[in-house]
Amino acid sequence: MKKLSIALLLISVMYPAVAQNILIKNGTVLTVTKGVLVNTDVLVKDGKISQLGKNITAPTGYRILDASGKFVMPGIIDAHSHEGIDAINEWSTPVTAEVFVGDALNPFQISLYRALAGGVTTIHTMHGSANAIGGQCETIKLRYGVKDPKELIMNGAPRTIKFALGENPTRVHGGGNAIVPRTRMGVEFVMRESFSKAKEYSAAWDTYTKNKTQKGFRGTPPEYNYRLETLAEVLKGNILIHCHSYRADEIYMMLNVCKDFGIKKIVFQHVNEGFKVAPELAAFGAMASVFSDWWAYKFEVYYSTAYNAAILTRNGVTTSINSDDPELMRHLYHEASKTQKYGGLKDEEALALITINPAKQLGIEDRVGSIEVGKEADISIFSAHPLSIYAVPLITIVDGVVRFDREKDPDDMRIYVDPRAEIDMADFTEGHDHDRCMQGAEDMFDTLFRTN
Amino acid sequence: METFYHKITVVFLVLIAFVPAWGQEERELGSVSRTYAITNVTIIQSPGRQVDGGTLVIKDGLIKSVGKNIAVPPEAIIIKGDSLFVYAGFIDGLSRVGVVKPREEIREKIKDPGNPPPDRAGISPYVDVRNFLNTADKNIEELRAIGFTTAHVVPYGGMLPGQSAIISLAGKSADDMVLVPVSSLYSELTPNERVYPVTVIGVMAKWRELYRQAVQAKSYEAVYASNRSGLEPPATNRILVSFNPVIDKRIPVLFKAEKFLDIQRVLALQSDLGFSLLAGDIKEGWDATTKLKASGTKVFLSLDLPEDKKKDDKKSEEKKDTITVEKDQLEKRKDEFMAKHVGQAFAYQQAGISFGFATLSVKTRDIQPNLRRMIKAGLTEDQALAALTINSAQLLGLSDRLGSLDPGKIANVIISERPYFHEKSKVKYVFVEGVPYKLDSKDSKKEESKIQLEGDWSLTATTPQGKSESTLNITKTEGKYKGKLSGNQLTETAEVNEIKLEGRKLNFSCLINVQGQQMKITIDATVEGDFFKGTVQVEGADSFPVEGKKVPKLNR
Repeated sequence: MKKLSIALLLISVMYPAVAQNILIKNGTVLTVTKGVLVNTDVLVKDGKISQLGKNITAPTGYRILDASGKFVMPGIIDAHSHEGIDAINEWSTPVTAEVFVGDALNPFQISLYRALAGGVTTIHTMHGSANAIGGQCETIKLRYGVKDPKELIMNGAPRTIKFALGENPTRVHGGGNAIVPRTRMGVEFVMRESFSKAKEYSAAWDTYTKNKTQKGFRGTPPEYNYRLETLAEVLKGNILIHCHSYRADEIYMMLNVCKDFGIKKIVFQHVNEGFKVAPELAAFGAMASVFSDWWAYKFEVYYSTAYNAAILTRNGVTTSINSDDPELMRHLYHEASKTQKYGGLKDEEALALITINPAKQLGIEDRVGSIEVGKEADISIFSAHPLSIYAVPLITIVDGVVRFDREKDPDDMRIYVDPRAEIDMADFTEGHDHDRCMQGAEDMFDTLFRTN
Repeated sequence: METFYHKITVVFLVLIAFVPAWGQEERELGSVSRTYAITNVTIIQSPGRQVDGGTLVIKDGLIKSVGKNIAVPPEAIIIKGDSLFVYAGFIDGLSRVGVVKPREEIREKIKDPGNPPPDRAGISPYVDVRNFLNTADKNIEELRAIGFTTAHVVPYGGMLPGQSAIISLAGKSADDMVLVPVSSLYSELTPNERVYPVTVIGVMAKWRELYRQAVQAKSYEAVYASNRSGLEPPATNRILVSFNPVIDKRIPVLFKAEKFLDIQRVLALQSDLGFSLLAGDIKEGWDATTKLKASGTKVFLSLDLPEDKKKDDKKSEEKKDTITVEKDQLEKRKDEFMAKHVGQAFAYQQAGISFGFATLSVKTRDIQPNLRRMIKAGLTEDQALAALTINSAQLLGLSDRLGSLDPGKIANVIISERPYFHEKSKVKYVFVEGVPYKLDSKDSKKEESKIQLEGDWSLTATTPQGKSESTLNITKTEGKYKGKLSGNQLTETAEVNEIKLEGRKLNFSCLINVQGQQMKITIDATVEGDFFKGTVQVEGADSFPVEGKKVPKLNR
């Protein structure tokens, strides 16, 4: 019996995933869209934010979280990640619109839990940037603890697809396999050719479907093509483009491609030279998801500035700050705060970069990204203002479920364990060699000179 | 290209190194009569149906009668079953026993990796596993020796390797072995190394596209067949046509799905496209029972388990530092998951899922110990037996022919000393389609002392081009066997420095020289009196069946 109860205890600690009704008492609520509400309660019912106000009485059965002296903000949204999936890049060909990272979701990756511990609740997990037209991406919620990959999906979030400009697709396909695209012109050609083919494909099907209804129709249907079928959906605006980009000239090129093919919505990813074409981006209605201050890792990413996010914001471009990395993803609130030093963004503007703005870029702004009644209860509670360097994330709630609680944070949060794996213990007493100061430096050399 | 020619030369030289010899030796017992009676034996007709001191009569490959007070036909060869146990032959739900792996060819580099020829992309659903069956595969004998008489076998390959077949683990030819041809379309989520699709997401996208194209092509074919005038003729496409029996639900798709997430991905394809699904070689599927059950998927659990390494339990109550405490906790979690692996079959039983077993990735010698581990973890012996017999027969649609010892069914029978799942149980005879195979269960040391290796042996290798021969002279000095291998086509006599004999297992290797070309060969064989039978493996090339026959000494 004792063994059993220990086992049960272990299970309950591991999976605290019970939907609860919660009253978050007396916190400083950073709504992002409706200002700052001090000494305010947030009532969470059935996974949604049901009431905001002072001195709300908790109905019976509600869990009460005392947020006195603490800061309550909407769950952080990362518009560019590759976590939670087992396959990222179908790099074998320059156009792979038909592949979908949602097919390879992996809810067991520990990086998802670590991101939760950084206040993140929703991520846009993306196909890689090897191809001019990559695969479809998936918007997931960090419901860490679920096993069925379907339970990670944010149902109803718009479909998205990865596009990529510049050195990555030209290196992989032109450089690696001597096929188009070898140059930036080639990338543009691949985009235009693919869209043209998709248009023809759609038209052929439309004609066939129309003729088929006529009496005595005899004809051959066009052959089903999953790739063109998907691209046709992009042209119809049913799949949102997220385009990996760095240089201003090619960003401008891509805007022209969109104009020519009637594509209204596009989000540029990285966009390091976005500050040069900020008015053009704003005029088009294109959005930008950037790093706070990461550049110079290959030739096309040298002309960069930490003021990028601020300049884009001030020019009216809906801008977000993303991680593209499991480590950066754990402190996106730090990344956002850098825009206050470089560009002097106001608190609300800086917080919008990691909440409501990425929500807009993913087409989910009516559901998440701010603390408003009726929105999904994705909430992070911080010990101090999240833009302060002293802030520590304490509790992260996804759909009204506490998925991270700093006070109940077991050492081993793995869901699946390989019984064959050797246990590799960290050794704290050794390993302070002087060599360490050069660790990774050779890789860096590679990165610089192999233009990796 | 150089390597290619080199390989060809090696194979050719091996072929000519041996000269054709006499006909094949049959390991079956005498064939005076095709009627057998196993008398006074404990018969487990199917799990839970036991006859003590009964008789089982086999006639013309079928079970004739079974029970108490059964008349023994006068022509019957009688096997006295006193103290023995009789079971229905086991069925392997997914394996490659008897299937030859196609030789790796050096192939031209593909210029556009995004658009490879289908066979280079692992897409060959038209391939029929029957073309790759080898009756002399020693795995057939090994698997049969522990009671398996039927196997669902699949070809080697990538995402769509081809069509499976259900075979009997005995037979004189490939066709002779086959019980059910084209029993399923076999598939894996295995991506390619350098050509599209290189990822699991690519594999899944390509799968959907092929299936939808196949549905479209099939329906157009029907339209065309009904009235050809004024319509473009449909393209013939071997790949798409292979999906037709799947689309019609005449056969299922058999998917390898080892891990929990593999199962989820395979189920995603199944729910998108709607085919009947058979999931095989499941290793980490304890959390997938509800979903598998709801989808009506038929499952074959892997007989492979993680090795149970016995840890030295240092029970010393020393003061534990934080690292030791953490390590202990991590060990506990490993144990927890080891228990889930070993308890998987029991979990399926508890979930009310009828399952069979698959040997695809397990070493044959681990099968019986692993079954005992599963039984120790909660599965009853009857449930284990059901998985190996009636359940798999039912899952594969063979219930009217296999799975239990009932009159009229195919005579696939196991006779064991002690109950099968007993630690010291030994299979003594196996009948496949009424043909008995006697298995050695005597003390191997005794056998060894009886075997007289010294002398001349004539070796016959069976190659695709015919039989070929050489001579091996074995001598014994200080308890060690040495040998000399010679033959017409060998440029020089090859020295065999050590010949190992363990029980009846013979093993040796040597360097042979054929027309100036040196190559290493290794022979593994089982000795029975003045015969041995096994394989010769040419390093870096193929392996062939080999037999040895002692040359009688001449009286001078």
